[in-house]
Amino acid sequence: MSKLLNKPFKAFTIYALVILACSIPVYYFVVNSIWMEELDEHNLIIKQRIENKLGNIQLDEKELNETLLLWNTLQPGSRLTPISQPKERDSVYTFTRQNEYISDEVDRFRGLSSSIKVNGKFYHLAIETNVEEADETVVAIALVTLLFVVLLVAGFIFLNRKISKRIWQPFQNTLHKLKSFDLTEGKPIRFEQTDIEEFEELNQSLHKLIDKNISVYSQQKTFLENASHELQTPLAVLKSKTDLLLQNKHLTAEQSEILNAIELPLSRISRVNKNLLLLAKIDNSQFAETENLDVSTVLTQSTELLADYIQDKNQNLSHEVKQPLTLACNKLLLEILLNNLLINAIRHTPKNSTIIIQLKDNMLQIQNTGTEALNKEKLFKRFAVSSSETASSGLGLSIVKEICHRYQWQINYTFENYLHSFSVIF
Amino acid sequence: MKILIIEDETELALDIAKYLSSENYLCEIASTYQKATDKITGYQYDCILLDLMLPGGDGIRLLELLKRENKQDGVIIISAKNSLEDKIKGLQTGADDYLAKPFHHSELSARIHSVIRRKQFNNSNVIEQNEITIDLPGKTVSIKNKPVNLTKKEFDLLLFFIGNKNRVISKGALAEHLSGDIADMFDNHDFVYAHIKNLKKKLSEAGCGNYLKTIYGTGYKWES
Repeated sequence: MSKLLNKPFKAFTIYALVILACSIPVYYFVVNSIWMEELDEHNLIIKQRIENKLGNIQLDEKELNETLLLWNTLQPGSRLTPISQPKERDSVYTFTRQNEYISDEVDRFRGLSSSIKVNGKFYHLAIETNVEEADETVVAIALVTLLFVVLLVAGFIFLNRKISKRIWQPFQNTLHKLKSFDLTEGKPIRFEQTDIEEFEELNQSLHKLIDKNISVYSQQKTFLENASHELQTPLAVLKSKTDLLLQNKHLTAEQSEILNAIELPLSRISRVNKNLLLLAKIDNSQFAETENLDVSTVLTQSTELLADYIQDKNQNLSHEVKQPLTLACNKLLLEILLNNLLINAIRHTPKNSTIIIQLKDNMLQIQNTGTEALNKEKLFKRFAVSSSETASSGLGLSIVKEICHRYQWQINYTFENYLHSFSVIF
Repeated sequence: MKILIIEDETELALDIAKYLSSENYLCEIASTYQKATDKITGYQYDCILLDLMLPGGDGIRLLELLKRENKQDGVIIISAKNSLEDKIKGLQTGADDYLAKPFHHSELSARIHSVIRRKQFNNSNVIEQNEITIDLPGKTVSIKNKPVNLTKKEFDLLLFFIGNKNRVISKGALAEHLSGDIADMFDNHDFVYAHIKNLKKKLSEAGCGNYLKTIYGTGYKWES
């Protein structure tokens, strides 16, 4: 993943690189042409000066020949040689020559080949001027270009950072608020005003979306609580009727069995209903009062309460407290959390097996034997685990999760060495 | 003994009255806040069963009324709300007990029994049932003046049966009595059978008659 601004930045940088790279030969061509033109002009001026000066000084034939000999020996840039016919036209040329004094240096020259007339005689004049070598020019241009490329890219990076920090600030603000948003808290988000149209539009849309979600969520919570409440009374009446029917002296064995069979699903409905109500209440942030509780004390109470059921299945309970732990939380919620985890372990552990409870380093771990791992995704969801055969309400672990969420405790499930292991990190 | 049932769900109120009538309780029903106020101010009851959500007013205010009038009636709140705040508030305002709906009649009956005994006998609270003597504050049981050593759960069961004499109590109701809300979470209540077996054995070894009967397929009954 890359940042949004880095995408055009990359393209801009590549484009700049290509253009600057292309400019190197162009620069070379332009610089070279200017050089050549200037040198041609320079050579021409020298030619005119030589022609003029040689014409002005009055030398006889002999003197002239001696002077030319001396000239051709000492003067490095030009040479005069007698010719019979003047050149029809001047010509220019470029050539390279091994440096006579430095062995590995090759010099480039621009030459002018022309003819002048001195004392009525024609002479061939060759003027050669040293020019910068082509490769040196290219290297110099490339170095300068590279310097500019570096400056350009550095500038891009600097500007990009500065701009992205500033112009993305409203977006970052919005993102930060969205990240810390928790639907279950039911508090709407207030986005900061921004003068960038797109962000303002985004904020407005998010605002609408969140408001709607909060409203739907709270309606659902209220509905759940109301529905559970409404179910309590008919359930109470049903339970009351079965109790009364049980007192009937003329009940036959068959009728008793039917009555018994009614009691089981009835208690299951009332359990589901109670748990739904409990969930709704936890969702609605009830159970606000907190006190400092010693976890191992509450744990001991829970195991004592469940002792009958543990004994019933002849299960072995190992209970180890390595470090005492005190928590500030609601007593009822902590009891429910521990009870639900323990009930879960007792219910799903076969007879004659072991349940291990460990409390250490801010962590409570409850382990029980099992044959295969449970679906971690579904485990804590409401009614997600099929429960047709067990007495489960399908809500026990959801309640555990909800309580952990309330106090920001961490609940984990792992399956290792044929042990289901639920751990709560406080 | 007079019981006032303040409950707007008439069906439930009638059932409670019917269940309790076999225990020599005289039950009256008030279905609204106003009717309840009239009955409370006009008469004396041994125990009042109070639903908190009533047409015409909040049940808590009836508790305050009882307190103001200095009435000594025992009060058990029966509420569908099952909220801890209500429970604490109710008990602080003078209620003797709190029972969440839905409940078994046997549980209610045992609680009424206990509240009335506490109100009327205070510290010399001793129940004499057949040849059994139960000292409630001391939590001891003796048969023909010989002490019987019962566990806490066996003691609870014995009291529960005596509070529900001659009525069939289902295993589920007994399990709920012993382990409260947790009983809901299990379908298997075999441990009840183990406790009852022990209780029966201890009682009969101490020379007590066989009053605790198993009713096939449904539950248990204390006959006397």
